[in-house]
Amino acid sequence: MAASADSLHPWAWWLWALGAAAAASLTTNPLTLLLLVLAVSAVVLLRRSDAPWARSLRAYFVLAGFVLGIRLTFAVLMGLPMGTHVLFSLPEIPLPEWAAGIRLGGDVTLEGLLFTLYDSLRLAAMLVCLGAANALANPRRALRSVPAALYEASVAIVIALSVAPQLVASGQRVMRARRLRGSNERGLRALPSVVIPVLADAVERSMALATSMEARGFGHSRRPGTGPLVLVVGAMASLTLGTYLVLGSPAAGLGTGCLAVGAVGAVAGLRASGKALTVSRYRPNVWSWQAWLVGVSGLVAAGCVLATSWGLAHPSTDPPEWPALAPLSLVAAALLAAPLLLTTREPA
Amino acid sequence: MNRDVPVLPGRRRRAAMLSVVALVSIAAFGWPLFFDPGSITNATQAPLVFALVLPLILAVVVADLTNEGMDARTLAMLGVLAAVAAALRPLGAGVAGLEAIFFLIIVGGRAFGAGFGFALGSLSLFASALLTSGVGPWLPYQMLASGLVGMGAGLLPRARGWSEIALLSAYTAFAAFAYGWIMDFAFWPFTLGLASELSFVPGAPITANLHRFVLFNVATSMGWNLGRALVNMLLVVTLGPAVLRIIRRAGRRASIATPAPASM
Repeated sequence: MAASADSLHPWAWWLWALGAAAAASLTTNPLTLLLLVLAVSAVVLLRRSDAPWARSLRAYFVLAGFVLGIRLTFAVLMGLPMGTHVLFSLPEIPLPEWAAGIRLGGDVTLEGLLFTLYDSLRLAAMLVCLGAANALANPRRALRSVPAALYEASVAIVIALSVAPQLVASGQRVMRARRLRGSNERGLRALPSVVIPVLADAVERSMALATSMEARGFGHSRRPGTGPLVLVVGAMASLTLGTYLVLGSPAAGLGTGCLAVGAVGAVAGLRASGKALTVSRYRPNVWSWQAWLVGVSGLVAAGCVLATSWGLAHPSTDPPEWPALAPLSLVAAALLAAPLLLTTREPA
Repeated sequence: MNRDVPVLPGRRRRAAMLSVVALVSIAAFGWPLFFDPGSITNATQAPLVFALVLPLILAVVVADLTNEGMDARTLAMLGVLAAVAAALRPLGAGVAGLEAIFFLIIVGGRAFGAGFGFALGSLSLFASALLTSGVGPWLPYQMLASGLVGMGAGLLPRARGWSEIALLSAYTAFAAFAYGWIMDFAFWPFTLGLASELSFVPGAPITANLHRFVLFNVATSMGWNLGRALVNMLLVVTLGPAVLRIIRRAGRRASIATPAPASM
């Protein structure tokens, strides 16, 4: 039985989208990337709700186009020293010595453009996958499923998210009051007389909110006693060392080891800190079997692309050749479209 | 409730946390300097490695800062300031990304200390990313960088009156540029790819890469950084004194644990 797309656990959508983004990051084959983007966009367009965040996919497409445009512009203006098929030549501008051997203008080759295009397409596809998660996952419900250690931080975020729209109303009230008093200051002069009352109002409201939170027992829901500082700091140091080793030295095994130890330590520290919280959750999000399948389909799609042979996943640009489509990338795209079968659009 | 808690262990703990944050930031933003082409990752993927590691670190730090010694009033203040900052962000989005958001983070960090400043900076960016659906691999970086901006504001030396505003606006100018530089630096190989003439060269000498970066940065984002610095300095000078007064008064009533730097 299919579940409603909006009631699916928000972290399942994030898992699916991160799997899709990982799949896109593993290939520069434009055909595969196109298929992945089509599958992800189809799921978003057919399953998104009417909520404000559901409209964000367009913004991510714009951002992706922007990244593509910037990279291609730089590739054309500054040229890439590769290949022999010259498409056209720009007049070359000589630069002084301190410009570190940078060239402006010159020959633009097919190989250079293709290389830039493939690499930027990969980035653009990843951005669209992230946009899909932003469009499908309900941020407020995602916040309800944060680890207990982050309970206080999530309370602060929830306050922020619910106060932000009220600020607009508060601003309008202040503006109306100014007009009624016959104030006709404009521009920069008017700024303090609008911003200060709005801010004072917001601070006032936060203190009232805090009083009512305390009256309901907030702040006594965490048992005293601090989490294990040595564990937490050690874990973070290990994570930092791990990333340093993974990026900065060929000792890959040691680096990933440090990363794993650090991750386990950080999770343990968060759990220990969460244990001290004695709060129950009202109507927690349910992690259903559909959520499992949606999340796993994204991860398996990434696995499919990873299993594709290097030559098929990264078509040659020098010499340029027509990219071939691997059967496994068809499987990956089909898997990314699987949420269409597992979920239904909520009746509007 | 904070009066029962001895002050020193909490402050030591916070200091330990913030020092680790500084260490993590050096690695996260300075990675192109120590990147080795012989390692298992590709240079354009490195920001993605951090995009996986940084959320874990941010979770630990923010959890620790908010659990230890933040009562309901401090949290409500944090939430409201983050809301104002998040609401300020779309106002400047058409012009140059996150504009006025820095003003509030700096003033909040100045009024309530480095730990609050870090939490405010990172939570503001997080809330505004949720409001505008802008969650992506850049978000952990933005959270860390703006957290550092708030933390730095909390560590400024003591000053009062107009000298405080002068100090804050000088810091604002510095922070606006530093934020742009470190963000661009961390994402430089990612935005430009590796093949362009202004690109990062993995394994090249540090000075050579820095030279290329300065050229790239001056060519692409000098104007943005300058705009960000000017707008925020203007806000600090025009609104700073009044906003500091409002939130300090509320903070005194709420007896927020961390004393304001001016009264230390």
